[in-house]
Formats: sequence, structure tokens, C-alpha cells
Amino acid sequence: MKISLNHISFSYDADAGYADMIIKDFRGSFTAGAFYSVIGPNGSGKTTLLDLISGFLKPLSGAIEIDGAPVFSFSKKALARLISVVSQDHTVNFPFSVKDIVLMGRHPYIPRFSPPSTADLNRAETVMEICGMRHLQDRKINELSGGERQRCVLARALCQDTPILLLDEAFSNMDIRHTLDMLHLVRQSVKEKNRLVISVFHDLNMASAWSDDILVLKKGEIKAFGNSAAVLTAETIKQAFEVNSIVEYSQHVQAKQVYYPIH
Amino acid sequence: MALSIPGAIVKGRTGFLVVLFSLFLVSMIFLSLSMGYIRIPITDILQIFLAKAALSVHGLQTMNETHLAVIMDVRLPRILSCAGVGAALALSGVLFQGILLNPLADPYTLGVSAGAAFGASIAILLNLGNAFVSVPLFAFAGASLTLFMVVFLSYSAKNPMAGLSSNNLILSGVIVAAILSAGISFLKFIANEQVSVIIFWLMGSFASKTWSNVWIITAFLGIGFFISMFFARDLNLISLGPKSAASLGVDLRKVTFILLVSGSLLAAVCVSISGIIGFVGLLVPHMVRFITGPDNRKLIPLSMLSGAFLLLFADTITRAVLPHEIPIGVLTALTGGPVFCWIFKKNRFK
Repeated sequence: MKISLNHISFSYDADAGYADMIIKDFRGSFTAGAFYSVIGPNGSGKTTLLDLISGFLKPLSGAIEIDGAPVFSFSKKALARLISVVSQDHTVNFPFSVKDIVLMGRHPYIPRFSPPSTADLNRAETVMEICGMRHLQDRKINELSGGERQRCVLARALCQDTPILLLDEAFSNMDIRHTLDMLHLVRQSVKEKNRLVISVFHDLNMASAWSDDILVLKKGEIKAFGNSAAVLTAETIKQAFEVNSIVEYSQHVQAKQVYYPIH
Repeated sequence: MALSIPGAIVKGRTGFLVVLFSLFLVSMIFLSLSMGYIRIPITDILQIFLAKAALSVHGLQTMNETHLAVIMDVRLPRILSCAGVGAALALSGVLFQGILLNPLADPYTLGVSAGAAFGASIAILLNLGNAFVSVPLFAFAGASLTLFMVVFLSYSAKNPMAGLSSNNLILSGVIVAAILSAGISFLKFIANEQVSVIIFWLMGSFASKTWSNVWIITAFLGIGFFISMFFARDLNLISLGPKSAASLGVDLRKVTFILLVSGSLLAAVCVSISGIIGFVGLLVPHMVRFITGPDNRKLIPLSMLSGAFLLLFADTITRAVLPHEIPIGVLTALTGGPVFCWIFKKNRFK
């Protein structure tokens, strides 16, 4: 499975000039079996990029293809069986239980007017088990803490069981233990199920430790894109974020780590 | 697949609740039929129904003619219209609360009531033809036009994703309703002696409803129920927010538009039959949610049964219990309002 973006430009204002575009002439591809991280300063277009790949937004120009077929040639249901999304907004407006929410991940597989099949229910049970949410399953989503709610939303996406998983700061509210557990789960599915994961991170060290490739965005343009170790340098970080840093290989993490000197 | 609707609904606790609520409703209908200026024993009512069902001319001839006329021509059409309107208002409330992601939304949030009232006021003011036909027709047209105006205002071709968002819809509804209210005030101002007719119509009533009203509301209710159940799971997913719902395969614009139109037309037909009856559409889904939780597949059928029951209860009180019939819209607002305050206070600050 491969996602390719050919000359993608996007702006919320259709009349915007090239300079005001949120994504500018993006060219690149993502292949299955790899964990990609997207990093970049606020407003660099990270979320917009994910929205374009998931088909939530339509590019003003260019085409996004999944294995050669345009994203918009898929029916909504078919697309939902290919791509699952954990968005930043995880408010739920009505008090559904955790179990209900996780089971919603099976929506694209359940025909209208039918109750979920045993397989659907089993999948939801399994996901709640591996995400350590069994004890929360009957709790109402709006009574959970931010981190628990985020875990529930990630569990819903895993329950959707798609070859492509898009994560938009999916771990930002989780404590360190759950962050590591969840990243481990996601990472495992990349290897075992040949999944394609694209995750937006703010923590550069997390991105470096967990991903195969890193994409650096700034003002809608690619600053660097490639192997994590190659991309993550003090120069790139200075260019993208305008901060000074020291980048060193860490034996403990077995990846590069970034340190920010205090001056 | 479509044939498995009952299978999906009538299962376990929900099935039991549907049966229980239906029994309540049927008992209420019989109770209401027997009550009134002329008390008619329930056994007589059953006899009339049995004779009607068996098409027994002889059976009907032996009955008290007054009782027969009161039941079949006066009370039954009124009661069934009332139950139908109650169910339709409750269903409409469920749809609006689900689409607008706002538990305070009701069938009138988008200005449908103001549109209907404006239409009806024009018909009354201009004294157009047969008032029994023109007033409901104008009310329905006014409501529909308002809906399309609101959708037009909140839709943006440039940025279709931001269009039809709940904020845009509510804001457009408020603006349009405010303009129409001023319009209604103006119509009342120039109406002279007809002003009382307008005011009375706006307060709502089920007096002198006929079988044609029953058929109209039944048809709308049937179609509305089918559409709502068809999209019930999508409506659940919409509460996750637009991005998550879209990522799970919900065609947001299509579902929002279809359910919005269904909810508004249901409200419009209700207003055209019985005037503006507030709080049923707001309150019933709220109360039923305490029993069923937020799952629309359970919420929709049970809200409809509860809405029918509650409105019929209120109408029976104003028709048969109170010494003088007061407008049903006033009664529901006077009783529903305080109940809503209580629920609101209890839940917000517990």
C-alpha cells in the first residue's frame, strides 16, 4: 500500500495566492510497513496534510492517490475501511460509554439496520483489552480525563483496523506510561500488519525514537523528508523551529535525541 | 436488510421498553377516548372498535349513535392527530439535537416555528379561501421557505466543510427567526379585528381535528421514522465531531442535509396541524435519554412513543379535565418549562 501526493496545494480560501497557501506544492509518498512522523512549528500545515490524505479536505490542485487510485474515487465507507484517523478534537457531545465509542470503529463494516456481528464485538473487546481500557468500558466518555478519552479514541481507531492510520497528536494528553504502551502497540502493528502510520508529533525526541521516517514541514513546504537519523539535525531544527539545539545519538533510546540548551 | 428493523430494535431491554411504552400509549388513548363532556365507558369503545373492525353494520346500528359519532368523528381523530404530532415533535427534537450537537436544540431552533407562524398569519390576515385549508398550507410553506433560507445562509460553496456546521445553522436560524418575529408583530399590528384569530392560532390547539389530519401526520411520521432509523447510527457518529465522523465513513453533508430537512418538515407539518406547541421536542428526548442513553437507535422509537403519550396526556387534561379548554401550546410551555428548569439544574450542577 502506498499513498502518493502529487503537487498538492491547499488553502481554506480558494482565492488565496500561492504565498498564502497552507500546503504548497507538496510532493511525496508514504509506503506501508513504516512509521512516519510529521513535525513542524504551529501552523505549518501538519493537521491540514492529514486532513487532505484522509479525504476530509479536497486539495485546490494536485492529486492524492492510494495505490494509484484517487482518494475521492473511493466511497466514504470504502475509505473508512482503508484509513482511520485520530484527530486532535476528541470531545464527544453526548454521553456514550467507552464501549460504545470503541465499537463505533466498526461502523464501516456493519450494514445498515444490522446489529454488530460477533466478530465486530470481539474486535472491540480485544482492542479494549490491549489498550488497557476494560475497567473503563462502561464509563461515560465525558466523565473521563483527557488522557483516558484520548486512549479511547485511539482504541476506536485501532478497532477500525485499517491499513492506514493517521494520528494527529494522538498522545498529547496521555501520561508517559500510556504514551509508551500505545506507541508500542501502534509500532507493533506497523511491523506485524504491515500498517502505514503517519503521526504528528510535537515532541521531537518521541518522533525520533519511534519513527522510521520524519517529515519536517514549515509554512506548508517540506523542509526535510527521509530517514529519521538523517533528517534530525541541529541545522534542520534551527531552520524549522528557530531554536538552537544539540542533536546526539543516544545509546538508551537507540536513536537521535534533541537537547535544548538554556541560555 | 430493511426487513430486519424490528430485529434490530426489539431486542432485550429496548424491546421491552418499546412494548411497555406502547402499552402506556394505547391505555392513554382508551382513557382519553372515554373522558370528556360525555363519559363513554371503555367497554362501549371496545364494542365500537370491534364492530368497525368486523365491518358489522348490524353491530353498529344497535349502538348509541351519539357515542359512535363522538368516538369516531370527534375524539378519535383528535386523539390520533395529537399523538402523531407529539411523536413527530419528539422525533424532530431528537434529530435536531443530534445534528446541531446541542442538547438545547429543538424543532423550532432553526426558525421553523416563526416561518410557519408568519405563513399562517398572512393566510389569516388576507382571509384566503377556506381557512381550514389555507392556514395549514401557508404555515407549511412558511416553515419550508424558512428552512431553505437558513440552509442557504449557512452553506458556503467555497468552503463546503465549514458550511452547515451547527454554529452556522443555529446562528442563521436565530437571525431568520428574529426577522420573521418582527414580521409577525407587524402583521398583528395591521390585522385589526383578526389579531385575536392570529394569536389564538399561534397558541396551538387540537380542537376539531379531522381524519385528514390523522392521515397527513401518519404519512409524514412513517417516512420520517424510516429515514431517521436509516441514519440512526450515522447520527450517533456525528456526535464524535465532523472529522471523526467523516473518518468513520459518514457522508456528513448528505446525512446532515437529509436529517435537517426531515426534522424541519416534521416540525412544519406539526405546526400546520396544531399551531406552535413548545417544549415537547426539547424535553422528551432529554427525558428519554436518561432511560436509554444517547444511542439514537433506541432514543428515536422511545422518544416518539413518549412524545405521543405526553402530548396526548396534556391534551386530555385541557379537553376533559380543566373546566375551560386552554390552548395546548400554553399548557405544554407552562408545565414543560419548569420541568426543564428542574432537569437542567439537577444535571448541570450535580
